[in-house]
Amino acid sequence: MHSLGCRLRRMNELSRAQIRDLMAQVLKNQDKELPADDAAQLREIGFRSLDFSELALRVEDETGEELNFDAPGLRRIATVGDVLDFLVELQHQ
Amino acid sequence: MTVATTRSAASGHPEPAGVDNRVVVGGAALTWRSLPLPTLSDPVAVLAHSAVHALTAARQHAVHGTELLLSTASRVDAAMRTELLEAGFTVGVLDDDGLRPHAPARPRAADPGRLWLLTSGSTGRPKRVGHTLDTLTTVRAEQPDRTWLCPYAPGTYAWWQVVTLSLTQPGQHLVVVEPDELDDWPTVAAAHGVDAASGTPTFWRRTLYRDAAALARVPLRQITLGGEPVDQAILDQLREVFPTARISWIYASSEVGASIVVHDGRAGFPVDWLDREAPGRPTLSVRDDELVVTSPYHGAGLAGPIRTGDRVQVLDDRVLITGRLDSDEINVGGSKVSAGVVRGVLTGHPAVAWARVTGRRAPVLGRMVVAEVVLTPAGPGDTNVPDEGALVRWCADQLPEHAVPRRIRVLTEIPVKETLKSDV
Repeated sequence: MHSLGCRLRRMNELSRAQIRDLMAQVLKNQDKELPADDAAQLREIGFRSLDFSELALRVEDETGEELNFDAPGLRRIATVGDVLDFLVELQHQ
Repeated sequence: MTVATTRSAASGHPEPAGVDNRVVVGGAALTWRSLPLPTLSDPVAVLAHSAVHALTAARQHAVHGTELLLSTASRVDAAMRTELLEAGFTVGVLDDDGLRPHAPARPRAADPGRLWLLTSGSTGRPKRVGHTLDTLTTVRAEQPDRTWLCPYAPGTYAWWQVVTLSLTQPGQHLVVVEPDELDDWPTVAAAHGVDAASGTPTFWRRTLYRDAAALARVPLRQITLGGEPVDQAILDQLREVFPTARISWIYASSEVGASIVVHDGRAGFPVDWLDREAPGRPTLSVRDDELVVTSPYHGAGLAGPIRTGDRVQVLDDRVLITGRLDSDEINVGGSKVSAGVVRGVLTGHPAVAWARVTGRRAPVLGRMVVAEVVLTPAGPGDTNVPDEGALVRWCADQLPEHAVPRRIRVLTEIPVKETLKSDV
């Protein structure tokens, strides 16, 4: 039973590319574009904490599972790649 | 009791002044006088089987002063039933066969003239509030003759407002719709010449959403809104359909009675009404963003300033009532957002028929503003249906950044409860 539970959880997980699509949607709603380069600085593209929170909610809505926001410690999130890494990782918590 | 009365030839008891007003219920045109007077225990909690049974209980109270709590069965759960039996009420369903009584656990003498209302209560647990016909009667000045729609659930404060008006004032007729007729009320109302109607903003939005053309065929001269925060958009939409009707909104509750009545077609009330004392009139104040009312029409056992639990916001020269204090305020990363204000912006969009705004748990900020909306039905060839992004941008143009709802879910139907509210 336990291993089945794990497998189901993995099936709901979003890939890095899927999260990237959601991130593009967040920006598109504000008439902004997500650059293809993961190294793009969030400050330069205007992706702020409100946008980050919205993206997390979109991930939750897609997977139907709550993210455990308290699990990981504080870290520096400065680039598009940081955001994607963080959310991919958060799904494992 | 200060309501005018006439003698009932049959019983020798005084009849209320409106006894010959027309009452349309279940499609039948009657008068208060032609309704049967049921035999009731005293004190009694009547669970009305349908609208007509509720009206007969109301008339019985008006004639005999029976101590009465009136409700529908669905609003009285097992715990409340036990509480009522413990409090000395005979409890029973009233239908065509009369009252099917359950004897009280602790019988007691009745308190003549006493009416009890069950409030929905901010805690979710219904609470009993004591009134009389007199404290429930808030329209006392002589009114032009009107035929009123009564869409409310029997025994609620709003229901009593319409019922006492018709019972106590000659020329105030009543057309009652049952819950299963609610979606089709404009047809019933047009057929019986309804020219005055009172409903919650949710009720009006739902009616406009379902069939605005049918609504326009009802010859309304008086439109009243209450029971929920009233925003500018719904007032404007009703004005568009009824350019010459008087459109009023009322702030009333079973605790403080009808305290605010506004006829100028604008949301909120003038800021200079605050802290104005006049004999026989409620005094309105604001303490810590909460509306406080000192009213001559409050429920029994309540006195002095009453904290209403409703949140207010002063915007220019108006005081807006934005929602319940415990649910209206959303804290987004330390910035306070009023759900009611955001809701007002969303419903101000021409394609939005209804909106609910709430806070949702989110990383970094703690909570985030999210919304559910129902869009107005698109006309043929109408390509101007907004998507989530368009609604987000509409809000972003009018609200501070942290107040913009980021997730907006589109529902297909306006949710409504028995109270005709949406819990927005």
